[in-house]
Amino acid sequence: MATKIELDGISMKFGDFYAVRNISLKVEEGEYITILGPSGCGKTTLIKVIAGIWRPTEGRVLVDGQDVTDVPIEDRDTGYVFQNIALFPNMDLMENVGYSPRVKDMPKDVTESVSTEYLELVKMLDRAGMFPGELSGGEQQKVAIARALASGSKMLMLDEPLSALDARVRVELRYDIRRLVKKLGITVLHVTHDQEEAMSVSDRIVLMRAGGIHESGSPLEMYREPKSIFAAYFIGETNLLGCTVTDKSRTGKTTVRLRGGKSVKAARSELEEGDAAVISVRPERVYTATEGLKAKVLSVVFMGTYWRVRTVTETKDYVDYNISTDKVTPEIGSKVYLVFNKKATKVFKRPEKGLAEAIRLE
Amino acid sequence: MSLFKKINAISDNDKVRKAWFGLAVAVFVCLIIVPSIFVVTKLLTEWGVVSDTLGNSEIMSLIYGAVGNSFSIAFIVTIIDIIVGIPMAWIFVRKNFKGKKYLDTLMDMPLAFPTAVLGISVVIFWGVPADGVTIPGLGLVVSPYMMMIMLHIIFTYPYMVRSLSAILEQIEPNYETAAMTLGASRFTAVRTITLPLFRAGLVTGFILCFARSLSETGGTYIALTLMGDETTFFTGPTFIAFMKEMDPSVALGPMIVISVIMIVLALILLLLVKRIMIRIKLPVTKVWPSIGRKLSNGIAPKLKDIVSIGFLMLVVLLPAFYIFAYLTQPILNVDYGQLLSSTGMSFLVAGVAVVFDIIFGIPVALYIARHRHTKMGQLLDNLVNIPLIIPTTALGFSLALFWGSLGTGGIISVILVILGHTSFTYPLVVRNITGAVEEVDPSYEEVAMTLGAKPLQAFSKVLMPIIKSSIIAGAILAFTRSLGETGATIAITSDVNTVPVYITELISSGSYSEAAICSIILILICFVFMFAVRAVTHRGDKSA
Repeated sequence: MATKIELDGISMKFGDFYAVRNISLKVEEGEYITILGPSGCGKTTLIKVIAGIWRPTEGRVLVDGQDVTDVPIEDRDTGYVFQNIALFPNMDLMENVGYSPRVKDMPKDVTESVSTEYLELVKMLDRAGMFPGELSGGEQQKVAIARALASGSKMLMLDEPLSALDARVRVELRYDIRRLVKKLGITVLHVTHDQEEAMSVSDRIVLMRAGGIHESGSPLEMYREPKSIFAAYFIGETNLLGCTVTDKSRTGKTTVRLRGGKSVKAARSELEEGDAAVISVRPERVYTATEGLKAKVLSVVFMGTYWRVRTVTETKDYVDYNISTDKVTPEIGSKVYLVFNKKATKVFKRPEKGLAEAIRLE
Repeated sequence: MSLFKKINAISDNDKVRKAWFGLAVAVFVCLIIVPSIFVVTKLLTEWGVVSDTLGNSEIMSLIYGAVGNSFSIAFIVTIIDIIVGIPMAWIFVRKNFKGKKYLDTLMDMPLAFPTAVLGISVVIFWGVPADGVTIPGLGLVVSPYMMMIMLHIIFTYPYMVRSLSAILEQIEPNYETAAMTLGASRFTAVRTITLPLFRAGLVTGFILCFARSLSETGGTYIALTLMGDETTFFTGPTFIAFMKEMDPSVALGPMIVISVIMIVLALILLLLVKRIMIRIKLPVTKVWPSIGRKLSNGIAPKLKDIVSIGFLMLVVLLPAFYIFAYLTQPILNVDYGQLLSSTGMSFLVAGVAVVFDIIFGIPVALYIARHRHTKMGQLLDNLVNIPLIIPTTALGFSLALFWGSLGTGGIISVILVILGHTSFTYPLVVRNITGAVEEVDPSYEEVAMTLGAKPLQAFSKVLMPIIKSSIIAGAILAFTRSLGETGATIAITSDVNTVPVYITELISSGSYSEAAICSIILILICFVFMFAVRAVTHRGDKSA
């Protein structure tokens, strides 16, 4: 596969503030990438730069190997779907979707056949004569996507396209979008702050933080093998416990000592004996046993498909774990013994500025 | 405080609130609407003089000429305002540049000038004034018709730019961006998306500018006097002002006829404009990509901005400020006593009128904003526009007839002038407050009441602080509008000497330099006052 979009050292400065700083990224043709990150991390800025809505302060944008940094927005041929949808309220759906061919001065019959084709693709053709205000949010967003694709663009920027919609519509629409763009071979950059959405639709997740790319990888890699505490914390849920490395086996397996002296076996790591560390373990990898880390149950919450139990351990850490809905739940205040699936743990070097700083969201 | 508590407690009572709202509406209808159009009933009660006038072809041709001048000037001026106002609104809303704040303040300045002053300034700048004016001018404009257009542009242009900006701010900028990602050039995006969404703003701007131009008396009259055309060239309002000087037995008939014609035409216009503006089909189907592209890139957009700002500078600001050229002349002996007493009178009239507007305007504004979709809400909304569109001279004449039985002279004349000024400033205050309240989510007040606030508290502690800056903006607008008004004051009574009336008298008697110096002093007083109001009200809240 060829590289479709390449970012080379992109920075975007507003006043003295860098919204994004020195970002380089290659996107393969037909790839579905989600740009994930907390609010204000610069993810929307990045796709606005790619679409040509903003000219970057530094760096180059290349599409199909051509430098397009100075090509004006109307010639970029990059579809863009806005969070607030932005269908033109003074035009019906047919005119909205046909806008791009129309402003490119295509003959009227071509314009009409193009808008018919794309409305059909998103299954909205039966509403062609309606105005945006008469549709639900999800329907409007489908039309907005049809409008963006009707420009014939092979790239689509989605700016939190689902965040204004109802929960169920959001879930259905995200699979619809993925099916559609995969069928048409479109390269997608999808901005979201919803990690579940990112994991379920993308080929690759780019995790951004404070204007830079923090980490990237396939959803499975990012979930199973996060390279940083922030990634472990932001993608999925995790328990983080401060500790010190006390022993390493010849194969690299690590033993750590939690606060208060309790010893726990963990997975392989690069750390040396005596290093200050943090171990991360996902709630679904924590089990109860007859012995282990002693903990007191603080709360039990029904999550729909499982129970979430929150405990405070003898080491004064909060640890959550899940139990399936057909099991008996522990009494609040009762004692349990917790063990971790040691292969599923991750051992990170303890950050110098502290754990709170490492997982801070803004 | 205990009084506030008492009122606060009874504000919980639905009947009390209804009574208060009823009172506000009654005041609005009885003191503002009915007197404004009372003159129409004179068609019946004074049919004798009216039919005499209608039979007098000489007078009638003067009246038709005056009305024709008024409406055609207002129309041309409004169209020019729209054409040059649209790019200017764009500059204000969508662009950020150094000095934007100053440009913003500068643009409102002509609104603070009494129009009588503008009349002098503009004629000296563009024209060839009568003998006795010692300041050199351009001498470009000699026809009174053209001069009126140049003059009226100055005090209507800010209204147009303000109304257009207000609407543009509400139009999602993403529409244009979306259009451009779809391949439209900026010009095409604006033409096909933003302009069609713009109509509501155009209607408001159109009505405001048209009405302002239609009703302006003082500046127009002074400009004509300076040009020596005041007895040969009339607009509707100057005709009324002219007749007012005549013997009442001769003047009554023509004054009634022209007032009724102006009022009826203005009302018809108000009704038609909305319909026509909404119906008009802009040519949006066809696009011309290459033309759009040429106009969007390179020199064209820059040229458009330069022309817009140039127009503001050369056609609006420079002629308005030209009167300051008189400062280069030797200082004359000005009758400061007269000037001060008339200034005091102007401030008294404007101050009382504005306070009255705010007290009785807020309940009506709140009702309109919160009941926009009910019949009553729409009715009030339309009624509020009436005093705005009626030429103030006709309004003043109507008012004088309505209250005439009270007699004139002394305190009664002052009260009548205040009532008159209340009529045409009331819509400005109500419009501003309505606009602001509509922006505020009603759930704020609801939350306050779920927390135990009584309706009055919810209003005074929650809504009021949010809309405060709009109330002040409306009040300043109304105050300056009242300060600058000549026509209504003259039409109501000749006893009350406000500043514009005083300046008009100076001009009529040929004391141009003295009039100019008085004007400059008045402008300075206005600015000091406006900045003082801003400084006091902005203290402590930078966001306002």
